[in-house]
Amino acid sequence: MVAEVLGAVALGLLLAVPPWLPPYFLEILISVLLFAYLGSAWNILGGYAGQFSFGHAAYFGIGAYTSTLLFLRLGVSPWLGMVAGGGLAAAFGLAAGYLSFRYGLRGPYFSLVTLAFAEMLRVIAVNTKAVGSSLGLVIPSREAAPWSFVFGGKLPYYYVILAMALGAVWITRRLERSKLGYSLRAIRENEDAAEAAGVDALGMKLRAMALSSFLTALGGTFYAQYFAYIDPTITFGPAVSIQGLLQAIVGGAGTVLGPLLGSFVLTPISELSRAAIRGRAGVDVMVYGLVLILVISFLPNGLMGWVRRRRA
Amino acid sequence: MADGMLLEMDGVTKRFGGLTAVNRFSLGVGAGEIVGLIGPNGAGKTTVFHLLSGFHPPTEGAIRFKGASIVGAKPHAICRRGLARTFQIVQPFVNLTTLENVMVGAFNRTDEVTAARARAAEVLDFVGLGARRDAPARELTLPDRKRLEMARGLATRPELLLLDEVMSGLNPTEVEEIIGLIRRIHAQGVSLLIIEHVMRAIMALSQRIVVLHHGEKIAEGPPEAVARDARVVEAYLGEDA
Repeated sequence: MVAEVLGAVALGLLLAVPPWLPPYFLEILISVLLFAYLGSAWNILGGYAGQFSFGHAAYFGIGAYTSTLLFLRLGVSPWLGMVAGGGLAAAFGLAAGYLSFRYGLRGPYFSLVTLAFAEMLRVIAVNTKAVGSSLGLVIPSREAAPWSFVFGGKLPYYYVILAMALGAVWITRRLERSKLGYSLRAIRENEDAAEAAGVDALGMKLRAMALSSFLTALGGTFYAQYFAYIDPTITFGPAVSIQGLLQAIVGGAGTVLGPLLGSFVLTPISELSRAAIRGRAGVDVMVYGLVLILVISFLPNGLMGWVRRRRA
Repeated sequence: MADGMLLEMDGVTKRFGGLTAVNRFSLGVGAGEIVGLIGPNGAGKTTVFHLLSGFHPPTEGAIRFKGASIVGAKPHAICRRGLARTFQIVQPFVNLTTLENVMVGAFNRTDEVTAARARAAEVLDFVGLGARRDAPARELTLPDRKRLEMARGLATRPELLLLDEVMSGLNPTEVEEIIGLIRRIHAQGVSLLIIEHVMRAIMALSQRIVVLHHGEKIAEGPPEAVARDARVVEAYLGEDA
């Protein structure tokens, strides 16, 4: 009951307050929701299925590049390009997942392979003139055109990413209460025992991979449209992969609200410490790192684990 | 091997590199039967279970379940066909509740969460874990974990259930309870192949006993006959006895 009321209040605030926020805070809130969204997408594979991908940048980048190239070269609306990017990312995820899982890669080996796949795409993007090589791609500034995913001002972008983040939470909640969700958690706990109990581990992990990579790619398109600029390091670099998984792990991997909570704590710390400690390059990252160490030391099950203990 | 056999292993050999764990082993379990598989430590009993449940492919030989070969089938596919197992070293999903553990097995026969939950609750009551359904599996005692292993296997609705030392580490009272439980599982029409070191239990339960020693079958027959078999006595007491 308390949880429902808190949730309704939080949702009301997220819907009603932003029009009155100064632009700087609106930007932070957009970052919070984007990382919450990416964390939720990662959480499906990493948190529920226990397959720690270090390479979700691959799907983020595929999403960003697919929609941007379709728009710049063929004039296709990024809304459609977003879906195309999601499909392409899911296909790539299925291929990468099949190769990894089929040959029994588990734990850190799986993580390293996913990292390698993302790095491979980054290097390809850097060396391919047709996709702008290391200079990247600029979406030229122009009049607001909602059908082209271009808005005047930040507020519409805020509501788009809010809808995406809430959508990801909704999907996670559905997942958690489905056969797929139970199967994924069983695989995370003990893959052999899950198989023995009739769980098709390969099939279930591939489903998680497809869903997770599809959603991550949509985030890539959002990023491209919001910042109107992408390059290989920003989209395919390890930083993107780390951002997604940090929100989920700090908030509580394998929980519905963990990534959202994680991002609401971590992202403002990151943004505000960067703003507060200007001129001392790297100090903000140290502050951020310290917070991470504290959270991981004292809250091994993330913030949601702490919330649950308080309620129990 | 006779018709109407639920499970048939025919001349099955399993080699790990130079080590032959199971050698030209044949075994049948008929519908409605309880068969005991015994042998000294390291005889290859658990390897037989790994072969039957699809965790190890046999090096040679045939394995048929309900008349169809299951060689090369993955564990989940074998479970789907109606052959389930427990693990000697219990393997609960520790961060899931007892009920959720069993639901995972119940999903073998349904895609619906409500149906899986109902089936799991029914099985938990059947094995006597109903009161622990909402406890995380990590909080269960060893006897309860043994019951949970059996419940998860049962929830998959098997025709044949392989039980791997479900009584080891239990006290005499707990052993009696598990014997009763196994009889009730059998009464529901489930055939059983049981590995057990608790001789009293295996003698009381089995209609037929197969004895494995150094990966080979050295005796097979009714419990009383097997217990008197000179080779069996020798295998258990050592070659110098």
